[in-house]
Formats: sequence, C-alpha cells, structure tokens
Amino acid sequence: MQQTEITEKLTTVFRTVFSDDAIVLKNEMTANDVGNWDSLTHMLMIGEVENIFSIKFKLKELNKLKDVGTLVELIASKIAV
Amino acid sequence: MVFTSLNFLIFFPAVIAVYFLLPQKFRWMVLLAASCFFYINVKPVYAVLLAGVIATTYIFTNLIDKAKSDKKKKVLLIADIIITLLPLFFFKYFNFVNDGIFTLLEYAGIRWPLPDISLLLPVGISFFTFMAIGYAIDVYNEEIEAEKNIGIVALFLSFFPVVMSGPIERATNMLEQFKAKLVFNYSMVVSGLQMMLWGYFMKLVVADRVAIYVNAVFNNAEQHLGSSLFLATLLQPIQIYGDLGGYSLIAVGCAKVMGINVMQNFNRPFFASSMSEFWRRWHISLITWLTDYIYTPLSFNLRKAGMKGIVAALMLTFLISGIWHGAALTFIVWGLMQGVVLSMEAVTKKQKTSFEKKHNLNNKWWYVFIGCVITYLIFAFSLVFGGTGAAVSRGFYIIGKIFTDIAHYPYKDGDTMLYSFIAVSILFIKEFMEEYYPGRILLFENKKRAIRWGAYYFVIFLIFYIGVLGGEQFVYFQF
Repeated sequence: MQQTEITEKLTTVFRTVFSDDAIVLKNEMTANDVGNWDSLTHMLMIGEVENIFSIKFKLKELNKLKDVGTLVELIASKIAV
Repeated sequence: MVFTSLNFLIFFPAVIAVYFLLPQKFRWMVLLAASCFFYINVKPVYAVLLAGVIATTYIFTNLIDKAKSDKKKKVLLIADIIITLLPLFFFKYFNFVNDGIFTLLEYAGIRWPLPDISLLLPVGISFFTFMAIGYAIDVYNEEIEAEKNIGIVALFLSFFPVVMSGPIERATNMLEQFKAKLVFNYSMVVSGLQMMLWGYFMKLVVADRVAIYVNAVFNNAEQHLGSSLFLATLLQPIQIYGDLGGYSLIAVGCAKVMGINVMQNFNRPFFASSMSEFWRRWHISLITWLTDYIYTPLSFNLRKAGMKGIVAALMLTFLISGIWHGAALTFIVWGLMQGVVLSMEAVTKKQKTSFEKKHNLNNKWWYVFIGCVITYLIFAFSLVFGGTGAAVSRGFYIIGKIFTDIAHYPYKDGDTMLYSFIAVSILFIKEFMEEYYPGRILLFENKKRAIRWGAYYFVIFLIFYIGVLGGEQFVYFQF
C-alpha cells in the first residue's frame, strides 16, 4: 500500500474519532494541531487504525511516535511484513 | 530542611557559591553532596532508604539494558518495580492493608491481627519512588540508556530541590542536564530567583494565610455553620494550590538558578473550564507520570473495548492517584470521584464538542466562565475528602451541613479574611492577566529597572507584612 493511500485511510479514521470532517492530515501534524486529539482519544484512534489496516501495534512502538508522519511510516512497515 | 526555614536561606546561597566557584567538571558532585546533606538533615536513617532505592535502580536499569531477550528484560523490570515499591508499601500502606484485611477476616470470625507499625513516613518517598520506577520503565522501553555513573543516578533521585515534594522529574529530562556543562547563566539565575520569590509569596502569603481559616473551620466542623464550611471548602483549593504550587515554583526556581530546567508543575489551574483540562494544569508532573506509566499501558491493553476500555483505564488510574496521595479510604473516594467525572467528560465529549461548535460557545466569555466555576466547585467539593484527609463519613457530614445550614453569615476572622482577600486577589489578577493578556503588563520581566525592583520589593513587603512566618509545614510532605 502506498503512503498516500495510507494517509487517505488514516484521514477517515481521524475524522471519525476526533469528530472533525475538516481534518487534512500532514506528516508534521501532532496532537497539538488536532482539536480533540488527547490522551483519552489517542488510544481510540490507535484501536481504530489497527482494525482498518488489520495490524497490531506494540506499546513500545507507540511510545516512539512523534507525529502523523511517523505513524504513517509505522503502519507502512506493519503492512509490508 | 524546609524551603521556608532560615537554615535553607543559609544553605542555598552557600551551595550556589561553592557550585559556581568550583570548575565545571566538579559541579554535579557539589549538587550530589548538597543533596545528600539536605536529605540527611531531615532524618539520617531515611537516607538509607533513599540509598537503597538508588542502588536498586542503578543495578536493575543496567541489567535491563544488558539483557538480551525481551522476556528477561520484562522479568528484571518487574523485579525492580517490586523491590523499589517495598519501602513505600511498608511505610505508607502496611497499616492500612493490615487493618483492612483483618477487619474483613474478623467479619468471617477469624481473629489473627498483626501489630500496627508506628513509623513516620520518610519525606519524599512517594516522589523519589515514582521517579525511580519511571526511569526503569524508560530504560525498558529503550527511551533512554541506563546510566553507567551511579553518582548521576544518585543525583537524579536525590536532587535537593525536588526530592521532598517533586516535581516528579524524568530521567529523560534530567540525566543529560546533569552530565552536560553546568554553566553560569545570568538570565537563568534571574528567572530562577523570580520564580522562587513568587513561590514564597504563594506559600507564605496565600497558602499559609488561607490555611488559618480553612484549618480553623475544618478542624472543628461540628462547631461551625454550614456557610463557614462552604467558605472553607471554596478556599481549600487555593490553599493547596498556594502550598504545592508555591513549593514547586521554589523548587523549579532553585534548579534554574543552577542552570537546570525542571518541569513546571502547575499552569494556572483555576482557568480550566473542564476537569480534563484541569488535570492538564494541576500537579502536571504527577498526572503526566500516571498518564505515561499507568493510563497508557492500561488503555493500550483495553483498546479493543473502545470507550469502555478508556473509562476502565481512567478509573483505575485515578484510583491509583488517590492511593498515591494517602493510605486512607478518603483518598480512594477522592480518586474515584475524579475518575467518574473524567469518564463522564470522555463519554460525552463528542456531543459536547458538536454542541459548542454549533452555537460557537468557546468564544463566549460567559460560557468559559461558567465552565471554570463548575470545574472549581467539583474540585473544591472533592477536596473535602482528598484535602482534609479525614474519614469519609466526616466528608459527608461536612457536605451535608453545607447544604442544610448555609443561610447564615459565615464565621469571620477580621485580619485573616482581609489579608487572605488581598493575597488571593493579587494571585488571581496576576494569573488572569497571564492567561488572557500575556505580555500586556510586565512587572518582574519589565525592561525598566525601577518597575522590576519595585515589584520585587512589593512582593517582599507582602511576604513580611501579611505572610505567615510561623513555619507552617508543606501539605505535600505528608504524601
């Protein structure tokens, strides 16, 4: 799956979980740039990402996420396996 | 040695003088020696416990680092956490668990009590224990390498500005700073001293002055009217904020003078318009610790359960927060109350956000104001349990009396009321300006020397004129 395709799917997840249809994802975006993205909704989003992409994260991997770009890279590496 | 004691006012400048006079490579050693002296000064025997936690942390973090398999790392981490928690459990929770278990057994007709152990809680144990565990988990998660110099680990866990009451610092922030060049930085010295001055104001003028009224009323709740209890309930968050917020500012300021950045512990908490926002502004170092090391792993493991998993993780996290504050049912009730309110906010968040968007409420000052008032009231009433540390039944008695006996003028104590009003007003005006008009009125940071020094002298005058200089303890030393 191409990175653009991952970003598209991820955008749908973000819009649903964070209740904002105007979200347009960029690699450098962090929780500070998305209104409802906090420690409570973060894990809801992670659970949804796992469902949509049929992958499973490790907590260690999530701790290293810095922004949307690193999340996209992590998803891509999981799909490639 | 307490920050507000005369001893500290001699100790700190002496440490600073030696610290900056010695060559750079010896400076971390000066800090370690000063930290050892500072802690031993409280009660030498407790330093043995701190030394034990330091040794355990040093040995296990290095073993975790060297271990080849994930399984072995995990076993070592669990062993480290259990050993590090043992002193905390023994000193803080033994009697509580002992009483609880044997009360339950007595109901079943079995009588086999262990004796209660009468020991004073070692100062700072809840704080350095959490710092040690956080560091070990960070090493396990490969966020930081295990430190090879035991002196640096000892300094991290005993660093005198934070060892008594936090902020609960992270190895990821502190270790590199201790190992880097610790140089004299004029602007950091000035900024640190300004923080300390304001911290002393918050502690001596706000907290200790307000505490006179709060303690007088809560310690004799039976003799006081519901209206007095209500006023004390409203004042208690300000007292605790002045106390721990003031302590934290002095601690952060102390470290800053020495060129070390310690995390902020409070961010104008009474301007939060929801409880979830409040907990991002109040006792930040504890909440971020709980979020990273308790809530995140819990919610990760429960993520398949969706919102139910989030609620369960929240409830457990705040239950642990309550237990961390004290070994009593009243703190557990307090923690659960926070968990319930936060869970309700989490569950209704989507609806609330869309309602606010639809009516454009977040830009309306009255809506934000109502949110701030409700948040303040929820926290104030929860503190009737968590703040006084009294029995749960007493908390209910106080709340019951507030709602049934409020139609009177509250108990008045002339000077205390007047001075408290002046102190609290100054604190609120300062924080209001910083929250909504940042940079509009500068006093401590003003470019004009006369204004800057005028502000310093005014605060010093307030400390000596209306501050309570009788040596009231810091509330969080009991935790």
